[in-house]
Amino acid sequence: MNQFEFNRRMLLKSATAMAAVGAAGALGLSGAQAAGPLKLWTIGIAKVGAKDWSAMSKQAGIEIAYNAKSARADEAIQKMVVGDGSKLYDAMSDNGGGMEDALASQGAVVELDTSQIPNWKNVLPIYNPGGSAADTIRHKGKIVAIPYISNADSLAYNYDKIGADLTSWGALFDAQFKGRAAMQNDFGPTLTNTAIYLKESGKQDIDNPSDMNAAEVKGVCQFLIAQKKKGQFRTFWDGFGNGLNLLASEEVLVSSCWEPIQIVAAKKSKMDIRYGTMKEGHQTWNNCFMLTKGGQARGQSDAFYKLMNVYLSTWFGARTLQTFGFGPQMQGVNEYVAANPKDFNAALIRARLAGKADRYKVKGNSWQNVFPTHMRDYQDWWARVQAA
Amino acid sequence: MSPLPLSRLRWQRAAAKALFLSPIVFMVLFFALPLALTVVWSVFERTMFWMKPGFTLFSYENFFFSARLENFLGSMMHSSVSVVVAFLFGFPVAVFIRRRIPQVAQHRVILLFILPFMVSEIIRIFALRPVLQRTGLVNSVLLELGIITEPITAILYTPMGVIIGEVLSFLPFIVFAGFLAMEAVPKYVFEICDDLGARPHRVFIDVILPLAAPGIFAGAVFIFVNGLGVALLPNILGGPGAVNAGLIATQAISALDFPLAMAVNAIMMTTLLGLLYIGHRLFDLTRILTPIN
Repeated sequence: MNQFEFNRRMLLKSATAMAAVGAAGALGLSGAQAAGPLKLWTIGIAKVGAKDWSAMSKQAGIEIAYNAKSARADEAIQKMVVGDGSKLYDAMSDNGGGMEDALASQGAVVELDTSQIPNWKNVLPIYNPGGSAADTIRHKGKIVAIPYISNADSLAYNYDKIGADLTSWGALFDAQFKGRAAMQNDFGPTLTNTAIYLKESGKQDIDNPSDMNAAEVKGVCQFLIAQKKKGQFRTFWDGFGNGLNLLASEEVLVSSCWEPIQIVAAKKSKMDIRYGTMKEGHQTWNNCFMLTKGGQARGQSDAFYKLMNVYLSTWFGARTLQTFGFGPQMQGVNEYVAANPKDFNAALIRARLAGKADRYKVKGNSWQNVFPTHMRDYQDWWARVQAA
Repeated sequence: MSPLPLSRLRWQRAAAKALFLSPIVFMVLFFALPLALTVVWSVFERTMFWMKPGFTLFSYENFFFSARLENFLGSMMHSSVSVVVAFLFGFPVAVFIRRRIPQVAQHRVILLFILPFMVSEIIRIFALRPVLQRTGLVNSVLLELGIITEPITAILYTPMGVIIGEVLSFLPFIVFAGFLAMEAVPKYVFEICDDLGARPHRVFIDVILPLAAPGIFAGAVFIFVNGLGVALLPNILGGPGAVNAGLIATQAISALDFPLAMAVNAIMMTTLLGLLYIGHRLFDLTRILTPIN
């Protein structure tokens, strides 16, 4: 399970509700468009405003047939490249900065016309040509993905127990937290975060923490093996529930994790669990929507663009930030929140935006890489970390 | 009564033959064929997103000459310990039910062991955490009673946590298999032992164990294989990076290394078939079905 799957129960409910909507549409009860509802293959938390997809559907003025998806790269590849995903789904979501290239290069998703999305003018400047995240939505210079959430993943720590703010990944490897530290059971983020720490603290020469060569991977993993043998880690968490439980139950005091885990852990445990800004840098990522080749062929482009317009609206941005802590992809969220004070905790929104801005400012940030060049070395050395 | 017409008789014979052959067809379609495909795919060449036909032993080399073998052997060792612990707890229960519970109630008591299986496996495993964790039930009670002064951390997120999970999850297998094996032992055998004044431990070692060996072995294989394959256990209860064979294959798939995942599965299946062959040679596993016969 990953950070996009944690509200599976909510997700199943909405799937049932949307199945009902779909059934009603099929019976001609809802005035469905000729092409039928937009068949959306995405993660449960891509929606806001209601427990099901009704609010999203209402905002976009289209019908949505929701299909649950995990965020595993292999699942998207298997369905969209190897399988018949293009026949099943009109639109899908996945990580930018890797998956959009993989899917577009295989002809599974198509080029997009952003002039069809009025709110595109509000998109964060980092996505404009030459911007720091411009490549994460483009394939061969053409836009194939629309970003809707992003973040810079960091370290969560139990302020109540520690009594101080933490600003370095070094805390994960600090002897004072021996046996009370956790990292993710996934070589991607764990090796990248460790590499960022080792590089920026001058402990290892690493050119690009997101795409290390074999020797760099070896160095990072040998460091982790030494830490593991010393008993530094309580465990490597896998899935939202596991990561949440570790923090909320005080099993660990420091954990590299997703922001929603920290938010829910703090709420559940009623402790001051914080999400820090690491001076060495963070693994940054976004998640994007893409129009499938099949969706375009079935005449679903209009419905897709209408929905994308919602995803780039401050209505969505403010809500995803307040509910899940994910970064909005458009400008003007603070102004929107100020104009709608009853719907939001303005102080919380401001604090979260400020925290994100701080994290994004750090020089050592590295983009999440779904397909590192030396993937096999990552896999093999990760197996050694596991065996140590 | 007039004899059946010849055509109907032929039809009935054909139907009976088809019925007889259906298990074979089922096994070929859903066991032999997938297994053969697994082996074939394991020697294919990896491509960026899938695999292409070819012949390479790279996936096997990648398994046997990397830390994966160490992980696999470690997972076998943990599963073996789980088998032994489950036997120590579960088999005496099976013997007790067979020898001490009135015959009419025996099957009802055995059915009680099915109850845990009515709860989803993931919930059963997740439910262990609030019991075993630092602030969990076990530590809270022991601290409250003054038996310990610091929470015990060795029972969760450690190999011991995985073994506890495996034993609690799979204990009924050894109880069922042990009970089935005990059903094959006539009650008069125990009466003769009692009449001859045999001590309970001699009866257990010299009489019960040899007679129930096939059932014990079958239960042990169930537990061993589940311990190797159920990825949830090391994932939720294990220490940093704990894996078993199932998780090694899952992680290979996540990394889009399908030939490696197939090789891991082929190795698992070979291990299992090897175990079954050895077990059959040693204990004649068909004896498990004696009560049914």
